[in-house]
Amino acid sequence: MRDIFYYFERDMLRWLRGRFSVVSALVMPAAWLIFVGLALPTTFTENYIDFITPGILVLTMLGASLQGGSLLIFDKILGFLNKFLALPSSRESILLGKILFITIRGLIQATVIMLLALILGASFLNPASLALTYGILAILGVLLSSFSTAIALSLSDHDAYAAFNSMVSMPLFFTSSALMPYAVMPAWLSSIAYWNPVSYAIDAIRALQGGVLAWSRIGALALLSVVVVCISIRQFRKATL
Amino acid sequence: MIPLETHGLTKHYGSLCAVDHLDLSIGNEIFGLLGPNGSGKTTTVLMLTTLLKPTKGSATVFGHDVEREAQEVRNLISYVPQDMAVDIKLTGRENVAFFAKLYGIPRRDETIDRVLWMMDLSERADDLVRTYSGGMRRRLELAQALVHEPKALFLDEPTIGLDVAARKKIWEHIRILKSRGMTVFVTTHYMDEAEHYCDRVAILDHGLVAAVESPSRLKGMLGKDLISARMSGRIGGNLPEGIECLGGKEDGEFVFSSEHASEKVPTLFRWLEEQGAVIHSLSVREPTFDDVFLALVGTGDEATGFDDRKFRTMLRRR
Ligand SMILES: Nc1ncnc2c1ncn2[C@@H]1O[C@H](COP(=O)(O)OP(=O)(O)O)[C@@H](O)[C@H]1O
Ligand SMILES: [Mg+2]
Repeated sequence: MRDIFYYFERDMLRWLRGRFSVVSALVMPAAWLIFVGLALPTTFTENYIDFITPGILVLTMLGASLQGGSLLIFDKILGFLNKFLALPSSRESILLGKILFITIRGLIQATVIMLLALILGASFLNPASLALTYGILAILGVLLSSFSTAIALSLSDHDAYAAFNSMVSMPLFFTSSALMPYAVMPAWLSSIAYWNPVSYAIDAIRALQGGVLAWSRIGALALLSVVVVCISIRQFRKATL
Repeated sequence: MIPLETHGLTKHYGSLCAVDHLDLSIGNEIFGLLGPNGSGKTTTVLMLTTLLKPTKGSATVFGHDVEREAQEVRNLISYVPQDMAVDIKLTGRENVAFFAKLYGIPRRDETIDRVLWMMDLSERADDLVRTYSGGMRRRLELAQALVHEPKALFLDEPTIGLDVAARKKIWEHIRILKSRGMTVFVTTHYMDEAEHYCDRVAILDHGLVAAVESPSRLKGMLGKDLISARMSGRIGGNLPEGIECLGGKEDGEFVFSSEHASEKVPTLFRWLEEQGAVIHSLSVREPTFDDVFLALVGTGDEATGFDDRKFRTMLRRR
């Protein structure tokens, strides 16, 4: 168990010491919020910032988690993973340490969005729903970082990972309910969007804005996370090169 | 308990046989796996350290099977891979501390200080690894590997890319470890290192072991003296009685062996001239480890003028 923290600590130290990566991680999502939130025409709701903020929060988590898989790719290419796998310490702690780091880093980025949204006039959250929002984002982070790290384990170079990342992240985002409500989507899109796990998180956060706890959506997201984490743990336990 | 044993250890990558029926038995010694690039050294180490599943055969580390008892094996070993993998954004001490934590070392700070001191890194321990030289990074990796006092240490090309002084330093540390009772399994493609520092070496060629012996006995197998010839022109056919060719080196030297080398020089000279070779020099010298390698493995470069496959491998025949 403690090993998870040690792996987390290593990634955190390395991240914090690369100042540029910290700054860019904090600026990029903010730029997204401003461009998407303020630049798009607001035809279907009067307060587009309130509407779009959950989408951007989730987009930030999505980007952070999928990008996080490249941490393992680099560990693999540079030979760190070999060393870790030959240690007596349990192998799933490598995975769980990555999940912890990627998720926490994503939540830090999400905090920037949250603050900025409040400055821009978002009016949607009280403390309780704020905490729940973080909870939902964390579950999404666990799901996606576990997925991306397990995929990274099976890929051999960074190009392959970059290809995977772009193949997955854009479609996941654009077929979700991030940018528009189900009501204005074409029928084919709304049914895809409804089953897209990214929408589970967005819908749940939007429901919180209306004071509703969308248990079925949160439950589905949590269940999926547990399943994906279990599969990933198995992959790591039996990992050979 | 025998530290390290393999039985018909084999690894195929698709149709390529990277390691072919390896049978080794290794005691408390510095055991060198010597071979050119691509001969299967890394593949062997990966199987012994439980990171790669053998296609066939088995291996045990202190009696534990690397496949069935991988966890027990990992408790007993340390592994330093070929790529230099240390975190350059962390200090030397932080790099070692990270491993010490993962190994769950009791009295952590003391141990970290001790291994850093052993590897001559105490003074620079709190500097970022970014500022370390290649040799220091290697020693830092050794320090990481030593925090949990492994019974067997696996080093894959520990001196690759280092300058002569740094290489010497690494090997001196390896020697000290062995004298403290550690079994050291090390791969290298530097022949001089294998010769000077290994108790025994296995010479690996395309996944096959060509010989397992102590370096001095391997040299001894070539006899007292060799004839070295520098010449040009293509030659072939049967060598005179009592002379054998070990092969041609990349630098254009051809090496011949004979029981009475100096007496055979005139005979060889005449024969080479009859063959139409232009002889630049012909001399008698003591065998080197290079010659052992040449005799067992060849240069792998068939472009040299001499058809050495025809004459080669007196050692193999013995
Ligand atoms: N993952 C792999 N897939 C396919 N072939 C491989 C792989 N790893 C190594 N090989 C091949 O196996 C042979 C032995 O490689 P290796 O063990 O790395 O040699 P060495 O460490 O002695 O340089 C080489 O021909 C290499 O190309
Ligand atoms: Mg190698």
